[in-house]
Amino acid sequence: MLLIDQVVKRRGSRTVLDRVTFAARPGRVTAFLGPNGAGKSSTLRILLGIDRADQGRALIGGRPYRSLREPLRTVGAMLDGVGAHRSRTAWSHLAWIARTHGIPRRRVREVLEQVGLAGHAGVRVGRYSLGMGQRLGLAAALLGEPEVLVLDEPVNGLDPEGIRWIRRLVRDHADAGGTVLLSSHLIGEVAGVADDLVIIANGRVVRTGTLAEVTAGHGDLEETFFALTGGAPGVGR
Amino acid sequence: MRYGRILAGELHKAATLPAVWGGVAGALLGALAVTLLNSVAARAALENGRAEAWGSTSPFENAYAAMPLTVVGAVVLGVVVISSEYTANRADAGGGRQIATTLTVTPYRIQVLAAKAITVVVGVMVIAPATLLVTVGLARLVIGGGAETVSVTAAVTRCLGGTLYATLTGLIAFAVTVLTRSGILPLLVLIMNSTLVSGSLLLTKLTPLAHWLPDLAGRRLFGGLDTVDGGLAPLPGAIVMSGWTLALLVIAGAVFSRRDA
Repeated sequence: MLLIDQVVKRRGSRTVLDRVTFAARPGRVTAFLGPNGAGKSSTLRILLGIDRADQGRALIGGRPYRSLREPLRTVGAMLDGVGAHRSRTAWSHLAWIARTHGIPRRRVREVLEQVGLAGHAGVRVGRYSLGMGQRLGLAAALLGEPEVLVLDEPVNGLDPEGIRWIRRLVRDHADAGGTVLLSSHLIGEVAGVADDLVIIANGRVVRTGTLAEVTAGHGDLEETFFALTGGAPGVGR
Repeated sequence: MRYGRILAGELHKAATLPAVWGGVAGALLGALAVTLLNSVAARAALENGRAEAWGSTSPFENAYAAMPLTVVGAVVLGVVVISSEYTANRADAGGGRQIATTLTVTPYRIQVLAAKAITVVVGVMVIAPATLLVTVGLARLVIGGGAETVSVTAAVTRCLGGTLYATLTGLIAFAVTVLTRSGILPLLVLIMNSTLVSGSLLLTKLTPLAHWLPDLAGRRLFGGLDTVDGGLAPLPGAIVMSGWTLALLVIAGAVFSRRDA
């Protein structure tokens, strides 16, 4: 289980995260929704130990990320786009990651096949499209066959076929007992796959619950989202 | 996680980074070019019977004079090992920097930084003697091995001294780049300082304290090179330069382990 507990993050005098609290459970896909700049990435960066919280804690199976012994075997993360140097090839990017965890080369080939990049493994990342970069980020997340997937805006830049593919991937992962936390500012893209929702606006969690609970009293998820985040349709896209 | 794996990951990352090979190749070609020019002049001086006019006609001396270019290679290595982590991707490819991946894959910051520093040390310790070996070979081809006046022992000692200087300079470049997160400033300052105009050397005109700056403190590690008088002898100089390096690495470690990536 992933637990974000009373997390506060300040940048200068600005409070970017204000006592953010929620959980993501095994066997379920948890969608972390909010407009751009609401604090989704900041929360995930703290969960993954990249940034520090000023207060509160973020735990993975009861432990802070930085204390995991072989993090990739527990958590597969995709953050900050590709996360590869642009002069690297997909192959060399995944190969160094595999090296740190003693993951065999065979597995690198497998994930490249799985995300549909096998034919572009020798191409430099700097020449990738946004969608290809997302696929490489996913390949890195899947490399260690983790129980938990944390994906920041995974559908960004993917074509409709790619979006369908990633929906199926996270659905299958959760159905197999895994935990999935994915963030998005595109409500429509995750509505079909999410079991639980966490809606954040201006650094505060404004609603959590199952899809049915959150949308109760509103017409549909889109209406709920804009009612809760105070944005007009189209804002934050 | 076993430390060897973190180290293996960092070594792999450096060895597959084109900028590293660019730096190595640039330094090697530069050193070969300087050696070639020196050697051709030395040979001409020998043939004209005016050997004394060209300082030294020893192949080793003529190759060793190109060693500051190896220092430039060390600076490039020290810088790009860390600056590459912070290079942003094209915005239309989603931006993103490798550091996020590095710190999620290996979230143990001091160990990661140490592995990177070891990568710099290993790299320079391979590049510097190898470059010297190749350039001495070239100088011997041009001038002829018979003109050698430097003993093997002296040559080995000076190779080690120059390698130590290059290694420490590479580590200083690395530590400074950890702080700046961008390679541009450290590359400009450190390469200019070790090739075109030495700012530290000019400072010695103002105050003798400048002899304690890292680059000047260590310069006698280059045994036998012509340099300005004064300053520290090789051993105290090496200690002072190592002290600077260590202090900068400690500061870099403290900042890197606390900073948001």
